[in-house]
Amino acid sequence: MAENSKNHWRSLPRERDNPAVVDAGARDEFPEPPPAGAVQLDRRGFLQAAGFALAGVAATGCQRAPVEKAIPYLVKPVEVTPGRAYHYASTCGACPAGCGLLVKNRDGRPIKLEGDPEHPLSRGGLCAAGQASILGLYDSRRLGAPLIAGREASWEEVDADVTASLDRIEAEGGAVRFLTASIHSPTELASIESFLGRFGDARHIMYEPLSSSAILDAHQRTHGVRILPRYRFDRAKVILGFDADFLGTWISPVEYTAAYRSVRNVDTESNGAESNDTRRAYHVQFESRLSITGGKADRRFRIAPGEAGAALTELASRLAEKARTSFEKGSAPGSSVPSDQLVSLAERLWSAKGQALVVCGAQDVRVQILCNFINHLLDSYGSTIELSPASNQRGDDDQALAELLEEIRDGKVDALFLAGVNPLLDLPLGTDFPEQLGRVPLAVSFAQRNDETSEACRFTCPVPHYLESWGDCEPVAGVVTLQQPCIQPFGNPRPLLESLAAWSGESQSGESKSSYDIVRATWQQRFSGAGEAGDFDAFWKRAIHDGSITVTAAPTASPSEAIIGFKSDAVRAVSAARPIPEGRYALSLYAKPAMLDGTHAYNAWLQELPDPITKIAWDNYVCLSSAAASDLDVHQGDVVSISSPEIKDAVIELPVVLQPGQHDRTAAIALGYGAKASERFAGLGPKWLEKRDTVGPNGRVGVSAARFLQVAGGTLQHSLTTVVIERTARKHLLATTQTHHTIALPEHLAPRGAERREVVEETTLAEQWQRLHSPHAAHQEHHGSLWKQDHEYTGHRWGMAIDLDACTGCSACVIACQVENNIPVVGKDEVSRRRDMHWIRIDRYYSGDDDDLEVAHQPMLCQHCENAPCETVCPVLATVHSEEGLNHQIYNRCVGTRYCANNCPYKVRRFNWFDYAHDDRLENLVLNPDVTVRSRGVMEKCSLCVQRIQEAKIEAKRSGVALTDGSIRTACEQSCPASAIHFGDMNDPGSRLAGLLENPRRYRVLEELNVAPAVNYLKIVRDGKPDKQGAPDHG
Amino acid sequence: MASASSALRPPLIAGEKTPAQVTKDICSVLDSKPTALWWSGFLVSLAFLLLGVVAVTYQVAVGIGTWGLNSTVGWAFDITNFVFWVGIGHAGTLISAVLFLLRQQWRTSVNRAAEAMTIFAVICAGIFPVIHMGRPWLAHWMIPYPNMRGPLWVNFRSPLVWDFFAILTYFTISLTFWYVGMLPDLATIRDRAEPGFRKKLFGVLALGWDGSYRTWIRYETLYKLLAGLGTPLVISVHTIVSWDFATSVIPGWHTTIFPPYFVAGAIFSGMSMVLTLMIVARKTMGLEDYITVGHLEKMAKLTLAVSLMVGLAYLTEVFTALYSGNPYEQFAFANRMFGPLGWAYWIMVTCNVGISQLFWFRQVRTHWGAVFCIAILANVGMWFERFVIIVSSLERDFLPSSWADYTPTSIEVATLLGSFGLFFTCFLLFCRFVPVIAISEVKGVLNVGRRREAPPVISASPQPNPAEGEGVPA
Amino acid sequence: MSARQLLGFFDDEQDILDATRAVRRNGFVVSDVYAPYAVHGLDKAMGLQPSKLPRVCFALGLLGAALKVWFEIWTSAVDWPINVGGKPLNSLPAFVPVTFEVMVLFAGMSTVFAFVLVARLYPGRRATPPDPAVSDYRFVLVIDETDAAFDPEVLHKLLRKFRVRAIEERVTTDQESAR
Repeated sequence: MAENSKNHWRSLPRERDNPAVVDAGARDEFPEPPPAGAVQLDRRGFLQAAGFALAGVAATGCQRAPVEKAIPYLVKPVEVTPGRAYHYASTCGACPAGCGLLVKNRDGRPIKLEGDPEHPLSRGGLCAAGQASILGLYDSRRLGAPLIAGREASWEEVDADVTASLDRIEAEGGAVRFLTASIHSPTELASIESFLGRFGDARHIMYEPLSSSAILDAHQRTHGVRILPRYRFDRAKVILGFDADFLGTWISPVEYTAAYRSVRNVDTESNGAESNDTRRAYHVQFESRLSITGGKADRRFRIAPGEAGAALTELASRLAEKARTSFEKGSAPGSSVPSDQLVSLAERLWSAKGQALVVCGAQDVRVQILCNFINHLLDSYGSTIELSPASNQRGDDDQALAELLEEIRDGKVDALFLAGVNPLLDLPLGTDFPEQLGRVPLAVSFAQRNDETSEACRFTCPVPHYLESWGDCEPVAGVVTLQQPCIQPFGNPRPLLESLAAWSGESQSGESKSSYDIVRATWQQRFSGAGEAGDFDAFWKRAIHDGSITVTAAPTASPSEAIIGFKSDAVRAVSAARPIPEGRYALSLYAKPAMLDGTHAYNAWLQELPDPITKIAWDNYVCLSSAAASDLDVHQGDVVSISSPEIKDAVIELPVVLQPGQHDRTAAIALGYGAKASERFAGLGPKWLEKRDTVGPNGRVGVSAARFLQVAGGTLQHSLTTVVIERTARKHLLATTQTHHTIALPEHLAPRGAERREVVEETTLAEQWQRLHSPHAAHQEHHGSLWKQDHEYTGHRWGMAIDLDACTGCSACVIACQVENNIPVVGKDEVSRRRDMHWIRIDRYYSGDDDDLEVAHQPMLCQHCENAPCETVCPVLATVHSEEGLNHQIYNRCVGTRYCANNCPYKVRRFNWFDYAHDDRLENLVLNPDVTVRSRGVMEKCSLCVQRIQEAKIEAKRSGVALTDGSIRTACEQSCPASAIHFGDMNDPGSRLAGLLENPRRYRVLEELNVAPAVNYLKIVRDGKPDKQGAPDHG
Repeated sequence: MASASSALRPPLIAGEKTPAQVTKDICSVLDSKPTALWWSGFLVSLAFLLLGVVAVTYQVAVGIGTWGLNSTVGWAFDITNFVFWVGIGHAGTLISAVLFLLRQQWRTSVNRAAEAMTIFAVICAGIFPVIHMGRPWLAHWMIPYPNMRGPLWVNFRSPLVWDFFAILTYFTISLTFWYVGMLPDLATIRDRAEPGFRKKLFGVLALGWDGSYRTWIRYETLYKLLAGLGTPLVISVHTIVSWDFATSVIPGWHTTIFPPYFVAGAIFSGMSMVLTLMIVARKTMGLEDYITVGHLEKMAKLTLAVSLMVGLAYLTEVFTALYSGNPYEQFAFANRMFGPLGWAYWIMVTCNVGISQLFWFRQVRTHWGAVFCIAILANVGMWFERFVIIVSSLERDFLPSSWADYTPTSIEVATLLGSFGLFFTCFLLFCRFVPVIAISEVKGVLNVGRRREAPPVISASPQPNPAEGEGVPA
Repeated sequence: MSARQLLGFFDDEQDILDATRAVRRNGFVVSDVYAPYAVHGLDKAMGLQPSKLPRVCFALGLLGAALKVWFEIWTSAVDWPINVGGKPLNSLPAFVPVTFEVMVLFAGMSTVFAFVLVARLYPGRRATPPDPAVSDYRFVLVIDETDAAFDPEVLHKLLRKFRVRAIEERVTTDQESAR
């Protein structure tokens, strides 16, 4: 009740003081009255009154009358307290990495995904794609009902048709093929197996557009089992990466980032190490294009995509000598890497024998075998590489895929099921493939949206979002996690499991089995099979509660006994680097950390997330080194046409982006663009006189480059093609959020001696070590003020420390912040006008030159300055300081003079230039009820998640205990896979933060302005190389 | 007394006018029908005004996003225009107040128009701070009035609040000054007018002025006081405007030289605008006898003087930056001169300091055409001065990552044109309805530099009493 | 009360100056002079006291400033103290500009009101100049006849010396004479 009266008073003056509200300004002050549900969602009063169902009624537009679902709330579920959040443990389904989730539910609906700190792999982190995948749940364009030949149908019809034709095929002994993405759900695998069991000629094939099947094939050859090993970066002392972006997109980035960070952190106790050089893992990256992994490497070499083999051969031969193993390295070295570098590298690897790890992203089995060979020589197997328990995160088999495509072309397939894949988007298929697919008698697509592939299939069976259905995962053998529904499905989708159950004739009994039963049954069986002690219900409850538990690896999951010792006879030298024909460029097709393979092309958050390296959103483009660009006489934004003599009629046109650190003969294009799902963005963004469109000429975001993938040597190769690049006359507008790329000022303007702005500070391993371990550790010199403190902070004093050495730039925090704080999507035009709304942005700076490029990522958010320049200049007191050191922004007081933003040295304030509409009613369900949706004309910025602070304080007060350090975690901090961000109370001497403030690496950006930021940074630690300070920088 | 040294001084008013003629000459304009020239000018101005109205309406309806601003550059055309127009206004006050205190009697021919210009300029200026807000319908929150929010007052530390009070005061005082100055002339019109509406209207406006000398005495005192208040006011206003920037932390804004720099600039632009208008007025309304070449020359000299002050300010600014040893400041100025907006900087220097040097030559000062062109260019230059200061500093501030460029949209350009439309519409209307020249004041200086015929010698008239301190009639 | 007055009409600034002096020197009482513009020295010639408006101006200017300073301190430091950018609650230096502006506003406006008050000028007041041309070129010298020293002959002679255009007697019954 108190709440009510407060609301009442709070709203009264607004009415009174806004005569404008009733006239011209009305529409702008309160954006067009959204549906009752959505409006009330940000009103606490409502939250006390109603649960999800009511909102569902208002929001879903009653596809499935949820009214009767409202009734159960009369008997309130025990754990549901309206207005209070509660978490479900689950597993992320955004990619096959299978990271642990805590799904934050409010009033019966998920509003935020957080990493599960107890998850053995992801350890609390969650990537951008994972964070954003919640938007898919509230995607109003998802299929609500099955389609037969494009028209809506009932499940009964579908079941009838499908079962009928299945029976026929079974009788005729026709070929049944099941094509899926990598699946590591024991239940799904089992039920697919059993489903296919009844057919004579049936196969289950997995593939990934960015395939890793060469790794599996190589292990088949060298270790006798076709598995993906589990890479243990957390045990490595020397890490060698070949075109493997393991911090960004390769296999399981979150897991790897956490592990990588654990061996790169120089602040941890120096357990016996006598210097940082041996304490901190040394990372060397060989790559053709700049990835965020390459950006973190201590040493980085630019090589052509086809060159990895040659470099590896060099290393192999050197190491073979040391290991006294025979290895004939064949002809002259084909690697452009200076051999002395390779020699010293080999030395370093050898010295770290048993603690070294070499990973390779090349899709060439011979190269992967070499890689295995080196790892074998270095005794990595068993230490930094585990074959048992192995990883299930990739199960792709490109050989089988190639055969399948062949069969489809020849019309040999009678039944084709596609689940969670979109080959028409992400595979190099001819333009005639759709009708080939059409000729398949029974083509069934399990999909959430009506994508390219579903359109070509007769049956489209909508499957629920992973937050709507039961499921299980086993990303690594023995690590079992469950997916549990957090909300009733929207529309009328049916989980794959249930469809298969219904079609495999098990449902003769009448009612079809629910996926819950199926999953539980699997585990019941496995539980008893594995002879686990204790009672199953306890195990099941624990599993659901914790989300993840470790069991003894099931025999099916890891054929450990099948593993044989290293078979070196498969090892061959790959001496000569693959030649790049004159006048052509080697094409490297890669994935962006956010967009991945295009599965998330529907996701506006991910589309608008600037790429960590290029800082460009809403597009893909062809990256060229500046040398290549000058050869072609093209500049940033010029549209070029790309074609390949090797692939007929494959021509695409893309804008050029100049990319430092890229190999001069390499062109890099991101996959996952040009998807049909991105057609929805055609009308995105504010509409006005000079508006420019978000989608490209093709009506979609970006252009698909999948045509340039090649199936060769039994693998789907993403960097085999060589292309011809010709300039066109046209230019393309690129939405860039950062246009100046170095900390250095333009040469002709820079004052002498101040060419470089020290906003990102660096230190070296040696220096850091010395400062940490010298008897009198250097303490921060505090620039005291002559004047006495005007405002003492006696209670809490919130602050933050961001470890630039840990930050990889993966941008998970950006999306986490966007979800948490209801940050609008503004569209390409606004982004290109430098009006992106992200409260936390990742500044990316280059230094050094192309051959020895250093990259720095700096998360930049409101610094909550003690002497905030923004506050002094606000005429209406709309931004003021709290007693806890926070810089508040009061939206409903702001009149929008933008003076505060002008006066902000960090330029972190964001202005609502238009009414950034939230007009998708269903999508509005994802809004965080604790955070105001800002109206047009007001300033906004990072609040250090003040709503979380308040929630924790209230909770502490309620339970009568003091606020404990770490009980408040900001959204960015929570999601960071490298745990680079630390929020805390600077007045609490025992807090993690207080400790970090004493770290010699700690500094504050623009400290000389004496604005006294509450956000601190920890310097980047560079390897022992001479310090880059003052070195000439290039952009 | 003015006649004492008459032989040495050229007459202020040409053509041996008598008071009666003065009245006739100046008021005849108001009686006659507007000329075709006036109509064309008026319609063009009106068209621009309407364009501006449309642009502003659209912008308020759709959002500030229709301007070319971004997260980095939060101010550009809006505040540039604001400062520009406030600056224009200042010359009016300078001529009417400062020159009055300095006993510069030549001002009488131009002060009325100059004051009118001040008022219209301040109106134009006042619009921009309101429409540049994200939520202009809440502009009244700038006023510290009791309210139900606590009450929540305003932030008196914010230069924008200072601005609000400065502009408010400046407008009120200027308007009063103008009106008070017009009282006797309104009475003149009233007395000339045939009975009817016009007579009634001006009767009300003249507040029943009857020329009693007891009133004249108080009137003179009041006029002195207002002039005395106006002089520090005009300086304070532009000082405060300059503090919008000087009190910030942005390199290129955070400069102590801004107050004098801005005041000088304001007066420079204002003088140029007065010159422009006066030249137009004397040509189109046949006032050559009242606004003589002498007037133009005097104002040209003044303009030259101020332009030198402006030039000095530019130099000092650069010197300070170099001498300060503050790398941010140094870069800001390097960038201002040779960065993306370098062209604008050099336009500003050329127009404000370069071209106006031609005023050293008498031929230029006395050639109305030349003066006109130079005045126009000076105004262009002064607009660019504000644009350069505001935008170039914002575009390149502390963190290279947030550097961004600014390009205006059609809406912004239309709004700028609209403000000119408003200004000239008002001014042309003013020319039609009230005397462009202060009749009573001109009458007061008719004798300056003119030999008057000797009065009849009267034996009975005794020598003046020294106590009265009166000069002997020549 | 009613008053008999003698009006002398002049066309030249210098004549009215000299005439006024002469008339007063000869012991007549100049009740008022009407002029189209401010003739310098005429006040001394008529022996008028300088106006007291400056005192009003000063006093109210001071009052305005004082009120404003108090208001700023009260709102920022007393009524609702808010930490703004780490500045002291009572940031006196920052309060100066507004104070100055308000001072000028008070001083200026109050003086104007004082002026219209004492000069009894207000919209709709009927102006009764002795000659409509006063607002054009005519000067009128008004001399009180209700006075012992009054002698028409002397006066007429005296005025004619100063090229008086016309002389006429009037009986005014309205408050005009009170001036």
